[in-house]
Amino acid sequence: MEFLIDWVLPCISSFFACIGFCFVFNIHGPGMIICGGGGALGWLVYLLAVFATGSEILRFLLAAIAITVYSEIMARVRRCPVTSYLIIALLPLVPGGGIYEAMRCCVQGDTALFLAALVRTFGIAGALALGALLGSSIFRILSPSFYRTQK
Amino acid sequence: MDLNALAAFCSKFGRQLMESGGEIYRVEDSIHRLTQAYGVPEAHVFAIPSCLIVSLTPAQGQPITRLCRIPAHGIDLDHLEQCNALCRRLCREVPPPEQALQLLDDLIVTRPRYSNAAVLFGHAITGGFFTLFFGGSVMDFVCGCLCGLLIGLSTRFLTPIAGSNAFFRTLLSAALSSLLAQLLVLSGLGHSADTITIGALMLLVPGVALTTAMREIMAGDLISGLSHTTESVLTATAIALGTGAALALGTLL
Repeated sequence: MEFLIDWVLPCISSFFACIGFCFVFNIHGPGMIICGGGGALGWLVYLLAVFATGSEILRFLLAAIAITVYSEIMARVRRCPVTSYLIIALLPLVPGGGIYEAMRCCVQGDTALFLAALVRTFGIAGALALGALLGSSIFRILSPSFYRTQK
Repeated sequence: MDLNALAAFCSKFGRQLMESGGEIYRVEDSIHRLTQAYGVPEAHVFAIPSCLIVSLTPAQGQPITRLCRIPAHGIDLDHLEQCNALCRRLCREVPPPEQALQLLDDLIVTRPRYSNAAVLFGHAITGGFFTLFFGGSVMDFVCGCLCGLLIGLSTRFLTPIAGSNAFFRTLLSAALSSLLAQLLVLSGLGHSADTITIGALMLLVPGVALTTAMREIMAGDLISGLSHTTESVLTATAIALGTGAALALGTLL
Protein backbone atom coordinates (compact mmCIF):
# COMPACT_ATOMS: atom_id res chain seq x y z
CA MET A 1 0.00 0.00 0.00
CA GLU A 2 2.76 2.38 0.93
CA PHE A 3 4.52 1.49 -2.31
CA LEU A 4 1.37 2.40 -4.22
CA ILE A 5 0.93 5.76 -2.52
CA ASP A 6 4.59 6.80 -2.60
CA TRP A 7 5.60 5.54 -6.04
CA VAL A 8 2.75 4.56 -8.33
CA LEU A 9 0.16 7.20 -7.53
CA PRO A 10 2.37 10.28 -8.19
CA CYS A 11 3.52 8.87 -11.53
CA ILE A 12 -0.03 8.07 -12.61
CA SER A 13 -1.33 11.47 -11.56
CA SER A 14 1.60 13.12 -13.33
CA PHE A 15 0.60 11.17 -16.47
CA PHE A 16 -3.01 12.35 -16.36
CA ALA A 17 -2.11 15.91 -15.39
CA CYS A 18 0.03 16.10 -18.53
CA ILE A 19 -2.85 14.72 -20.59
CA GLY A 20 -4.99 17.51 -19.16
CA PHE A 21 -2.41 20.03 -20.37
CA CYS A 22 -2.71 18.54 -23.87
CA PHE A 23 -6.26 19.90 -23.97
CA VAL A 24 -5.04 23.30 -22.86
CA PHE A 25 -2.20 23.48 -25.43
CA ASN A 26 -4.16 21.79 -28.23
CA ILE A 27 -2.35 18.49 -28.80
CA HIS A 28 -4.31 15.74 -30.52
CA GLY A 29 -3.93 11.99 -31.01
CA PRO A 30 -0.92 9.90 -29.97
CA GLY A 31 0.99 13.03 -28.95
CA MET A 32 -1.14 13.11 -25.79
CA ILE A 33 0.11 9.70 -24.67
CA ILE A 34 3.70 10.70 -25.40
CA CYS A 35 3.36 13.88 -23.32
CA GLY A 36 1.75 11.97 -20.48
CA GLY A 37 4.46 9.31 -20.62
CA GLY A 38 7.10 12.03 -20.46
CA GLY A 39 5.52 13.53 -17.36
CA ALA A 40 5.32 10.13 -15.65
CA LEU A 41 8.88 9.23 -16.65
CA GLY A 42 10.22 12.51 -15.28
CA TRP A 43 8.67 11.98 -11.88
CA LEU A 44 9.76 8.31 -11.82
CA VAL A 45 13.36 9.38 -12.43
CA TYR A 46 13.02 12.03 -9.71
CA LEU A 47 11.76 9.39 -7.27
CA LEU A 48 14.36 6.78 -8.24
CA ALA A 49 17.19 9.31 -7.99
CA VAL A 50 16.75 9.30 -4.23
CA PHE A 51 18.83 6.11 -4.18
CA ALA A 52 21.69 7.84 -5.98
CA THR A 53 21.76 11.24 -4.29
CA GLY A 54 20.27 13.02 -1.34
CA SER A 55 20.28 16.44 -2.97
CA GLU A 56 16.86 17.57 -4.12
CA ILE A 57 18.25 19.94 -6.75
CA LEU A 58 20.32 17.11 -8.26
CA ARG A 59 17.24 14.91 -8.44
CA PHE A 60 15.37 17.59 -10.39
CA LEU A 61 18.38 17.93 -12.66
CA LEU A 62 18.43 14.19 -13.42
CA ALA A 63 14.68 14.17 -14.07
CA ALA A 64 14.97 17.13 -16.46
CA ILE A 65 17.78 15.39 -18.37
CA ALA A 66 15.70 12.21 -18.67
CA ILE A 67 12.67 14.14 -19.97
CA THR A 68 14.72 16.07 -22.50
CA VAL A 69 16.36 12.94 -23.93
CA TYR A 70 12.96 11.22 -24.04
CA SER A 71 11.36 14.20 -25.84
CA GLU A 72 14.22 14.45 -28.34
CA ILE A 73 13.88 10.75 -29.17
CA MET A 74 10.10 10.97 -29.50
CA ALA A 75 10.39 14.09 -31.68
CA ARG A 76 12.74 12.22 -34.04
CA VAL A 77 10.47 9.18 -34.12
CA ARG A 78 7.37 11.22 -34.90
CA ARG A 79 9.18 13.90 -36.98
CA CYS A 80 7.71 16.72 -34.91
CA PRO A 81 9.17 19.71 -33.09
CA VAL A 82 10.71 18.77 -29.73
CA THR A 83 8.98 21.70 -28.06
CA SER A 84 5.55 20.08 -27.96
CA TYR A 85 6.65 17.15 -25.84
CA LEU A 86 9.30 18.94 -23.81
CA ILE A 87 7.08 21.83 -22.68
CA ILE A 88 4.34 19.59 -21.34
CA ALA A 89 6.48 16.82 -19.86
CA LEU A 90 8.55 19.35 -17.89
CA LEU A 91 5.49 21.01 -16.35
CA PRO A 92 5.07 18.65 -13.35
CA LEU A 93 8.62 19.54 -12.30
CA VAL A 94 8.09 23.32 -12.39
CA PRO A 95 8.21 24.53 -8.77
CA GLY A 96 4.66 25.87 -8.44
CA GLY A 97 4.60 24.62 -4.86
CA GLY A 98 7.72 26.63 -4.09
CA ILE A 99 6.10 29.89 -5.20
CA TYR A 100 3.08 29.18 -3.02
CA GLU A 101 5.18 28.07 -0.05
CA ALA A 102 7.26 31.25 -0.24
CA MET A 103 4.16 33.43 -0.41
CA ARG A 104 2.53 31.68 2.54
CA CYS A 105 5.60 32.22 4.72
CA CYS A 106 5.71 35.86 3.54
CA VAL A 107 2.07 36.45 4.50
CA GLN A 108 2.67 34.83 7.87
CA GLY A 109 5.60 37.20 8.36
CA ASP A 110 8.31 34.53 8.57
CA THR A 111 11.09 36.17 6.57
CA ALA A 112 13.69 33.44 7.09
CA LEU A 113 11.41 30.67 5.81
CA PHE A 114 10.25 32.93 2.98
CA LEU A 115 13.81 33.47 1.77
CA ALA A 116 14.62 29.77 2.12
CA ALA A 117 11.58 28.80 0.03
CA LEU A 118 12.43 31.46 -2.55
CA VAL A 119 16.02 30.27 -2.92
CA ARG A 120 14.82 26.67 -3.19
CA THR A 121 12.36 27.65 -5.95
CA PHE A 122 15.04 29.43 -7.94
CA GLY A 123 17.37 26.47 -7.41
CA ILE A 124 14.83 24.06 -8.88
CA ALA A 125 14.09 26.36 -11.82
CA GLY A 126 17.82 26.60 -12.48
CA ALA A 127 18.19 22.82 -12.24
CA LEU A 128 15.43 22.38 -14.84
CA ALA A 129 17.11 24.87 -17.17
CA LEU A 130 20.48 23.20 -16.81
CA GLY A 131 18.91 19.75 -17.17
CA ALA A 132 17.21 20.66 -20.45
CA LEU A 133 20.48 22.14 -21.70
CA LEU A 134 22.52 19.06 -20.72
CA GLY A 135 19.84 16.71 -22.03
CA SER A 136 19.80 18.06 -25.57
CA SER A 137 23.60 18.42 -25.62
CA ILE A 138 24.00 14.79 -24.53
CA PHE A 139 21.51 13.75 -27.17
CA ARG A 140 23.37 15.65 -29.89
CA ILE A 141 26.69 14.09 -28.90
CA LEU A 142 25.27 10.58 -28.76
CA SER A 143 23.44 10.76 -32.09
CA PRO A 144 25.27 13.13 -34.45
CA SER A 145 24.08 11.43 -37.64
CA PHE A 146 20.53 11.28 -36.35
CA TYR A 147 20.69 14.96 -35.62
CA ARG A 148 22.06 16.01 -38.99
CA THR A 149 19.36 14.28 -41.01
CA GLN A 150 16.73 16.33 -39.27
CA LYS A 151 16.67 19.62 -37.54
CA MET B 1 9.83 34.03 -59.64
CA ASP B 2 7.74 36.59 -57.83
CA LEU B 3 9.78 37.60 -54.81
CA ASN B 4 6.97 39.82 -53.56
CA ALA B 5 4.67 36.85 -53.20
CA LEU B 6 7.43 34.81 -51.57
CA ALA B 7 8.12 37.57 -49.04
CA ALA B 8 4.41 37.79 -48.26
CA PHE B 9 4.26 34.04 -47.77
CA CYS B 10 7.38 33.95 -45.59
CA SER B 11 6.16 36.63 -43.24
CA LYS B 12 2.74 35.02 -42.93
CA PHE B 13 4.27 31.60 -42.36
CA GLY B 14 6.68 32.96 -39.74
CA ARG B 15 3.84 34.69 -37.99
CA GLN B 16 1.88 31.42 -37.82
CA LEU B 17 4.90 29.61 -36.37
CA MET B 18 5.47 32.30 -33.78
CA GLU B 19 1.82 32.66 -32.78
CA SER B 20 1.50 28.94 -32.16
CA GLY B 21 4.42 29.03 -29.74
CA GLY B 22 7.47 28.25 -31.88
CA GLU B 23 10.89 29.25 -30.60
CA ILE B 24 12.75 32.07 -32.34
CA TYR B 25 15.43 29.84 -33.84
CA ARG B 26 12.74 27.59 -35.30
CA VAL B 27 11.07 30.56 -37.00
CA GLU B 28 14.33 31.98 -38.35
CA ASP B 29 15.64 28.57 -39.41
CA SER B 30 12.40 27.55 -41.17
CA ILE B 31 12.19 30.77 -43.18
CA HIS B 32 15.86 30.59 -44.00
CA ARG B 33 15.43 27.06 -45.36
CA LEU B 34 12.41 28.12 -47.38
CA THR B 35 14.26 30.99 -49.04
CA GLN B 36 17.19 28.67 -49.79
CA ALA B 37 14.86 26.11 -51.34
CA TYR B 38 13.36 28.85 -53.53
CA GLY B 39 16.83 29.96 -54.54
CA VAL B 40 16.72 33.55 -53.26
CA PRO B 41 20.25 34.97 -53.71
CA GLU B 42 20.28 36.88 -50.44
CA ALA B 43 17.79 36.51 -47.63
CA HIS B 44 17.75 37.81 -44.06
CA VAL B 45 15.35 36.90 -41.30
CA PHE B 46 15.20 38.57 -37.92
CA ALA B 47 12.73 37.66 -35.23
CA ILE B 48 12.10 38.62 -31.64
CA PRO B 49 8.98 37.60 -29.72
CA SER B 50 7.01 40.66 -30.82
CA CYS B 51 8.37 41.29 -34.31
CA LEU B 52 9.38 39.47 -37.48
CA ILE B 53 11.39 41.00 -40.34
CA VAL B 54 12.00 39.20 -43.63
CA SER B 55 14.19 40.78 -46.28
CA LEU B 56 14.76 39.19 -49.69
CA THR B 57 17.20 40.58 -52.24
CA PRO B 58 16.88 39.50 -55.88
CA ALA B 59 19.92 39.16 -58.16
CA GLN B 60 18.94 42.48 -59.78
CA GLY B 61 16.78 45.19 -58.33
CA GLN B 62 15.64 46.47 -55.00
CA PRO B 63 15.42 44.31 -51.88
CA ILE B 64 11.94 43.46 -50.63
CA THR B 65 11.42 43.78 -46.89
CA ARG B 66 8.39 42.79 -44.88
CA LEU B 67 7.86 43.60 -41.24
CA CYS B 68 5.25 41.92 -39.13
CA ARG B 69 4.23 42.88 -35.62
CA ILE B 70 3.37 39.77 -33.57
CA PRO B 71 0.57 40.43 -31.07
CA ALA B 72 0.27 38.67 -27.73
CA HIS B 73 -0.67 35.09 -28.44
CA GLY B 74 -1.49 31.74 -26.90
CA ILE B 75 -0.02 28.34 -27.61
CA ASP B 76 -1.24 25.85 -30.20
CA LEU B 77 1.22 22.99 -30.39
CA ASP B 78 -0.77 21.04 -32.96
CA HIS B 79 -0.66 23.98 -35.36
CA LEU B 80 3.09 24.30 -34.74
CA GLU B 81 3.55 20.66 -35.77
CA GLN B 82 1.43 21.15 -38.88
CA CYS B 83 3.36 24.27 -39.92
CA ASN B 84 6.62 22.44 -39.36
CA ALA B 85 5.46 19.58 -41.58
CA LEU B 86 4.30 22.09 -44.22
CA CYS B 87 7.73 23.75 -44.17
CA ARG B 88 9.44 20.40 -44.84
CA ARG B 89 7.04 19.65 -47.67
CA LEU B 90 7.54 23.07 -49.28
CA CYS B 91 11.33 22.74 -49.10
CA ARG B 92 11.02 19.39 -50.90
CA GLU B 93 8.45 20.28 -53.54
CA VAL B 94 9.01 24.03 -54.02
CA PRO B 95 5.57 24.95 -55.43
CA PRO B 96 4.95 28.54 -56.66
CA PRO B 97 4.55 30.99 -53.75
CA GLU B 98 0.86 31.58 -54.52
CA GLN B 99 0.19 27.88 -54.17
CA ALA B 100 2.22 27.74 -50.95
CA LEU B 101 0.13 30.59 -49.58
CA GLN B 102 -3.00 28.63 -50.49
CA LEU B 103 -1.67 25.57 -48.65
CA LEU B 104 -0.96 27.67 -45.56
CA ASP B 105 -4.42 29.24 -45.67
CA ASP B 106 -5.98 25.77 -45.91
CA LEU B 107 -3.95 24.73 -42.87
CA ILE B 108 -5.16 27.75 -40.88
CA VAL B 109 -8.79 27.12 -41.77
CA THR B 110 -8.78 23.37 -41.13
CA ARG B 111 -6.68 23.28 -37.97
CA PRO B 112 -8.26 21.11 -35.30
CA ARG B 113 -9.21 22.85 -32.10
CA TYR B 114 -10.72 21.55 -28.90
CA SER B 115 -14.13 22.94 -28.01
CA ASN B 116 -14.45 25.26 -25.00
CA ALA B 117 -15.91 22.37 -23.00
CA ALA B 118 -12.94 20.11 -23.78
CA VAL B 119 -10.45 22.81 -22.79
CA LEU B 120 -12.29 23.38 -19.51
CA PHE B 121 -12.29 19.61 -18.94
CA GLY B 122 -8.53 19.67 -19.50
CA HIS B 123 -8.13 22.44 -16.91
CA ALA B 124 -10.27 20.53 -14.43
CA ILE B 125 -8.43 17.21 -14.66
CA THR B 126 -5.05 18.94 -14.63
CA GLY B 127 -5.94 20.74 -11.41
CA GLY B 128 -7.36 17.55 -9.90
CA PHE B 129 -4.47 15.26 -10.79
CA PHE B 130 -1.85 17.78 -9.68
CA THR B 131 -3.63 17.89 -6.33
CA LEU B 132 -3.30 14.09 -6.13
CA PHE B 133 0.29 14.44 -7.34
CA PHE B 134 1.16 16.68 -4.39
CA GLY B 135 -0.37 14.21 -1.95
CA GLY B 136 -4.04 15.17 -1.79
CA SER B 137 -6.85 12.82 -0.81
CA VAL B 138 -9.76 11.78 -3.03
CA MET B 139 -11.90 14.68 -1.80
CA ASP B 140 -8.99 17.03 -2.45
CA PHE B 141 -8.95 15.68 -5.99
CA VAL B 142 -12.55 16.83 -6.46
CA CYS B 143 -11.73 20.26 -5.01
CA GLY B 144 -8.65 20.46 -7.25
CA CYS B 145 -10.87 19.78 -10.27
CA LEU B 146 -13.21 22.60 -9.20
CA CYS B 147 -10.34 25.05 -8.69
CA GLY B 148 -8.82 24.03 -12.03
CA LEU B 149 -12.17 24.62 -13.67
CA LEU B 150 -12.35 28.07 -12.10
CA ILE B 151 -8.88 28.91 -13.43
CA GLY B 152 -9.93 27.68 -16.87
CA LEU B 153 -13.05 29.84 -16.77
CA SER B 154 -11.25 32.91 -15.50
CA THR B 155 -8.32 32.72 -17.95
CA ARG B 156 -10.74 32.30 -20.86
CA PHE B 157 -13.53 34.67 -19.91
CA LEU B 158 -11.92 37.33 -17.73
CA THR B 159 -10.47 39.21 -20.70
CA PRO B 160 -13.47 41.55 -21.12
CA ILE B 161 -13.30 42.45 -17.42
CA ALA B 162 -9.61 42.39 -16.62
CA GLY B 163 -8.45 43.63 -20.02
CA SER B 164 -5.74 42.03 -22.11
CA ASN B 165 -3.08 42.51 -19.42
CA ALA B 166 -1.80 38.97 -18.88
CA PHE B 167 -0.11 39.92 -15.59
CA PHE B 168 -3.34 41.15 -14.03
CA ARG B 169 -5.34 38.22 -15.44
CA THR B 170 -2.93 35.70 -13.91
CA LEU B 171 -3.03 37.56 -10.60
CA LEU B 172 -6.83 37.48 -10.53
CA SER B 173 -7.04 33.81 -11.53
CA ALA B 174 -4.52 32.81 -8.86
CA ALA B 175 -6.37 34.81 -6.21
CA LEU B 176 -9.77 33.40 -7.19
CA SER B 177 -8.67 29.77 -7.20
CA SER B 178 -6.78 30.16 -3.94
CA LEU B 179 -9.88 31.70 -2.33
CA LEU B 180 -12.08 28.92 -3.66
CA ALA B 181 -9.69 26.31 -2.24
CA GLN B 182 -9.90 27.90 1.21
CA LEU B 183 -13.69 28.13 1.00
CA LEU B 184 -13.95 24.47 -0.04
CA VAL B 185 -11.82 23.44 2.94
CA LEU B 186 -13.88 25.64 5.26
CA SER B 187 -17.06 24.06 3.95
CA GLY B 188 -15.63 20.66 4.87
CA LEU B 189 -15.35 19.25 1.35
CA GLY B 190 -11.55 19.39 1.06
CA HIS B 191 -8.90 18.53 3.63
CA SER B 192 -5.76 20.44 2.78
CA ALA B 193 -6.11 23.96 1.35
CA ASP B 194 -2.36 24.10 0.62
CA THR B 195 -2.37 20.98 -1.55
CA ILE B 196 -5.45 22.03 -3.50
CA THR B 197 -4.08 25.53 -4.10
CA ILE B 198 -0.72 24.26 -5.30
CA GLY B 199 -2.35 21.67 -7.54
CA ALA B 200 -4.60 24.21 -9.24
CA LEU B 201 -1.80 26.80 -9.45
CA MET B 202 0.22 24.44 -11.63
CA LEU B 203 -2.12 25.53 -14.44
CA LEU B 204 -0.76 29.07 -14.17
CA VAL B 205 2.95 28.52 -13.48
CA PRO B 206 5.14 29.87 -16.27
CA GLY B 207 6.52 26.48 -17.29
CA VAL B 208 6.19 27.16 -21.00
CA ALA B 209 7.87 30.57 -20.88
CA LEU B 210 10.66 29.09 -18.76
CA THR B 211 11.28 26.17 -21.12
CA THR B 212 11.16 28.42 -24.19
CA ALA B 213 13.53 30.88 -22.54
CA MET B 214 16.06 28.13 -21.80
CA ARG B 215 15.92 26.73 -25.32
CA GLU B 216 16.38 30.19 -26.83
CA ILE B 217 19.31 31.09 -24.64
CA MET B 218 20.84 27.73 -25.56
CA ALA B 219 20.36 28.52 -29.24
CA GLY B 220 22.05 31.91 -28.75
CA ASP B 221 18.96 34.12 -29.12
CA LEU B 222 19.70 36.22 -26.08
CA ILE B 223 17.15 38.99 -26.63
CA SER B 224 14.25 36.56 -26.98
CA GLY B 225 15.59 34.39 -24.17
CA LEU B 226 15.73 37.38 -21.84
CA SER B 227 12.28 38.53 -22.88
CA HIS B 228 10.81 35.11 -22.10
CA THR B 229 12.74 34.94 -18.82
CA THR B 230 11.21 38.29 -17.86
CA GLU B 231 7.80 36.95 -18.81
CA SER B 232 8.18 33.92 -16.56
CA VAL B 233 9.45 35.98 -13.62
CA LEU B 234 6.54 38.41 -14.05
CA THR B 235 4.03 35.56 -14.21
CA ALA B 236 5.50 33.95 -11.11
CA THR B 237 5.27 37.31 -9.35
CA ALA B 238 1.63 37.65 -10.40
CA ILE B 239 0.85 34.19 -9.02
CA ALA B 240 2.64 34.98 -5.77
CA LEU B 241 0.83 38.31 -5.38
CA GLY B 242 -2.54 36.74 -6.20
CA THR B 243 -2.19 33.87 -3.73
CA GLY B 244 -0.68 36.23 -1.17
CA ALA B 245 -3.76 38.46 -1.36
CA ALA B 246 -6.07 35.44 -1.11
CA LEU B 247 -4.12 34.03 1.84
CA ALA B 248 -4.30 37.36 3.64
CA LEU B 249 -8.04 37.47 2.97
CA GLY B 250 -8.32 33.88 4.13
CA THR B 251 -6.89 34.69 7.54
CA LEU B 252 -9.75 37.14 7.98
CA LEU B 253 -12.38 34.50 7.23
